[in-house]
Amino acid sequence: MDRRDFIKLSALTAGAAGLAGCGHPDHQLIRFLPEESWIPGVATWRPSLCPLCAAGCGVMARVMEGDAEVVRNGRTGLLRMGLVKKLEGNPAHPVNRGKLCARGQAAVQIVYHPDRIRQPLKRRGERGTGEFEPVDWDEALSTLAARLKQVLDDDPAGLAWLSRPLRGGKRVLVERFLATLAAPAPVYFELFDESVLRWANRLSFGREQMPTYTLSVANYVLGLSADFLGTWNSPVAQAIGYGEFRQGRPGRRGKFVQVEPRVSQTGANADEWIPIRPGTEGALALGLAHVLLNEARRPTTAAGTAGERIEGWLQGLPEWTPEAVAEQTGIEAERIRRLARELIAHEPAVVIAGGAALAQTNGLATALAVNALNALLGCVGALGPVRFTPQPESTGLAPPHRTLRALVQKILSRPESPVKLLLLYEANPVFATPPAWQVAAALDRVPFVVSFGSFLDDTSILADLVLPDHVFLESWMDDVPESGTEPAVVSLAAPAMRPLHNTRAMPDVLLDLSRRVGGRLNEALPWKSYEELLRARFDALARRAGADADAFWKQALERGGWWSDNGGTRAAAPRHAAATTRQIRYQPAEMDGSVEEFPFHFLPYASQAFYDGTTAHLPWLQELPDVLTTAMWGSWVELNPQTAERLGIRQGDLVDVTSRHGTLQAPVILSTGIAPDVVAMPVGQGHRAFTRYASRRGANPISVLAPLEEPETGALAWAATRVQIRRAGVGRLVLFSGGLSRFPHPEER
Amino acid sequence: MSRRWGMVVDLDRCTGCEACVVACRAENNVPTVGETEAARGRAIHWIRIERYWEGEFPNARIRFVPVLCQHCEAAPCEPVCPTYASYHTADGLNAQVYNRCIGTRYCANACPYTVRFFNFFHPVWEKPLHLQLNPEVSVREVGVMEKCTFCVQRIKAAELQAKAEARELRDGDVQPACAQACPADALLFGDLNDPDSRVAQLARSPRGSKLLEEVGTQPKITYLARLSWSGDGEDR
Ligand code: SF4
Repeated sequence: MDRRDFIKLSALTAGAAGLAGCGHPDHQLIRFLPEESWIPGVATWRPSLCPLCAAGCGVMARVMEGDAEVVRNGRTGLLRMGLVKKLEGNPAHPVNRGKLCARGQAAVQIVYHPDRIRQPLKRRGERGTGEFEPVDWDEALSTLAARLKQVLDDDPAGLAWLSRPLRGGKRVLVERFLATLAAPAPVYFELFDESVLRWANRLSFGREQMPTYTLSVANYVLGLSADFLGTWNSPVAQAIGYGEFRQGRPGRRGKFVQVEPRVSQTGANADEWIPIRPGTEGALALGLAHVLLNEARRPTTAAGTAGERIEGWLQGLPEWTPEAVAEQTGIEAERIRRLARELIAHEPAVVIAGGAALAQTNGLATALAVNALNALLGCVGALGPVRFTPQPESTGLAPPHRTLRALVQKILSRPESPVKLLLLYEANPVFATPPAWQVAAALDRVPFVVSFGSFLDDTSILADLVLPDHVFLESWMDDVPESGTEPAVVSLAAPAMRPLHNTRAMPDVLLDLSRRVGGRLNEALPWKSYEELLRARFDALARRAGADADAFWKQALERGGWWSDNGGTRAAAPRHAAATTRQIRYQPAEMDGSVEEFPFHFLPYASQAFYDGTTAHLPWLQELPDVLTTAMWGSWVELNPQTAERLGIRQGDLVDVTSRHGTLQAPVILSTGIAPDVVAMPVGQGHRAFTRYASRRGANPISVLAPLEEPETGALAWAATRVQIRRAGVGRLVLFSGGLSRFPHPEER
Repeated sequence: MSRRWGMVVDLDRCTGCEACVVACRAENNVPTVGETEAARGRAIHWIRIERYWEGEFPNARIRFVPVLCQHCEAAPCEPVCPTYASYHTADGLNAQVYNRCIGTRYCANACPYTVRFFNFFHPVWEKPLHLQLNPEVSVREVGVMEKCTFCVQRIKAAELQAKAEARELRDGDVQPACAQACPADALLFGDLNDPDSRVAQLARSPRGSKLLEEVGTQPKITYLARLSWSGDGEDR
């Protein structure tokens, strides 16, 4: 070994030595006997699942041994155990094929977060002050069991479940738990749940689920406000397809046009970006269809049921001339004609509408218009690009936003809340609902709130009892992705590492609770553990596939799930009966606030780092420079430079953003990619409580939203609020300064 | 023949999703510095996505460019280092020997790509966040420069693995964390000396060029131009 090699080697090993550290207080800790054996320095890979959005990407966790400080039997000590170091996409998983998004990459920080709840807690101080004291599991569970029995004796209607929409085994468990107790059905809530699109798909195509967009077969993509390369639907799957669409097919580069009021990360990649007046996306779809039906002479019947849903479709949409549509959308008639011609000239072409386009009072009509347009383009079905992933079980959910509002109204309807016990799991509605919904006031009336959360957030801080769940890498995981994959998928993963803290898996706590309550629950939920429940589900799948149960289970555990990849064992694809045969008439979107008093359209959007705010507690994502603005560690509002000049506002100034429902303050970032009458703001910051990294940081755009909704689904029209803005002083922006001064590249070709 | 590690960045595939940025941080123990220090320009990102805005509303146009150490053949950061902490390896990496570095920061000033970052203070991982640290990558101390290594630990591991299996390294055996994460496959890594490797083939693309080629650094990353479409149906 020469000197060079020696130095190289020391550079590589210096870190390891540095980590072990001398004179570290760790040395005073006792050592527990390891519960598993590890070869130092050798990594193993274990499948898991990303819990951070509904895409449900498959993960491979890199596990290596390390010394963790843990508590065992009340004593703190060091335990040598397998620790997850890095997450990669699972190459075999059909949704994300080895890839992950930025949030998925950061998910490993959830496990090691310094503010994770480490043992059960009960409330000590006033509600909402965040003062808790530790209790042991047995005491916590007997308290809960006693409460539950009391509620069941009085009236089972006094029990409520509130969580994000569940899938797979957890959904079966929770729904059966509640049904057996004769308690009301679970309330599911997620801000960006796209229930409008699901419902539209049911009406147009008989499929109540999100579509799978196979971009790799498309030649032309027209996006309407859908951030499909960033946060929307199955972004990793869609980005993989997008790479193919652009450069994966020699001689055939797909064209991409994005129509939206503010350039999104997705829109930044478009060949042509076209601003549109918010809430008129459906009118554009009808205008394009008009040209296709009248000028290109496509038969109206070519769109099938999807066309029949639209009033005037069978007559060829006579009112929707490009000139009339130009009036509404602000897009010139000639441009609309050209887009329509391009759609035909570049088939297979697909229109993707989502996000703010559907978060309007006319969102359902817009989604139906786009569905009909896609059907007319012949892009829906087995040959794609719009496909529906076969689902092994039912996907339909009661309209989530409406059920949450019903729960709140029920609680507030009487002086004494009829809901006595509320179980809260992975949902933060206090943060993610407009103030007029009064979620916080309602939860405050419920005598006993139990949270299964791993962190104290805006909602779980109201809990009386916290029973912390394991995090995903410590848990048995399963999922049934509804989109982003062609074969049906049932994902599965064993825990990738042992729990770091004194936590218990939520499903196991429910099963334990069932045994304590006894009676009918014992028969309805016969499983001893969630693992057993999952095994039973996979045994049933194996039977359907005609496979040996043990081998089937083992293979699923190794691969990270089961998928019908060879087409051999096709899962049944449930078709939902059309709920109505009536036609829907497109109405202009209703906006909250008059143009005179509130001249700006307020556009919240799912942020690249935090999505709906659920990942704001991760320092890696706080320090991730937003790709369009480079902003880190805070909130901002985006304003067109002409507007700013008119109002005497400069970049970095603090502004008041005021709607009829509230005011927030944030610094301004000027952007030429936003219409002069639109103000945009990322969702994710502004938590009242959410760990040391996110608490009281920035502002929450949801806190000024109007409670308008799409009337048929009850979905919150979160892009339908108007605001005024006023300079309020000098703000603080943290921008990433690294960068070259000019575009460093010869002219693009 | 010795290897010459290099990369191709296809700007026509890059979507600006930033998966690479987080993946790099996770793999390479890149510390976060917090709001206050970030505001003072001290945030560290071995790879970043730059954005270039052109045109006024409504004709705004944005282009994303991922920028990381270009592992230049004629690296301006190397000759200026008084302690030879910044040096060139036989397989073409621009390496940084942390325990030689005395923090003059000459290299950072010499680098035209501003991809070198200085540790102004001891990096902090609030416990137990430190349990995530990759034991195969050194944690850099205060006073030391750091930057992209092309995931040298992965290169070494793949070489060792190939040796253990008594075979040659295959194209695709080594993937830096950024390339592995990239959903759109915009980042591709490999041996430029192997004319058949995918990276060598793509580097010959007529769409290819280097960042700031004219300053003479001879970067080992080739950028493939994003194509544009005028709207009349044809690629330009
Ligand atoms: S898209 Fe990102 S956040 Fe969603 S499941 Fe996949 S990796 Fe996780």
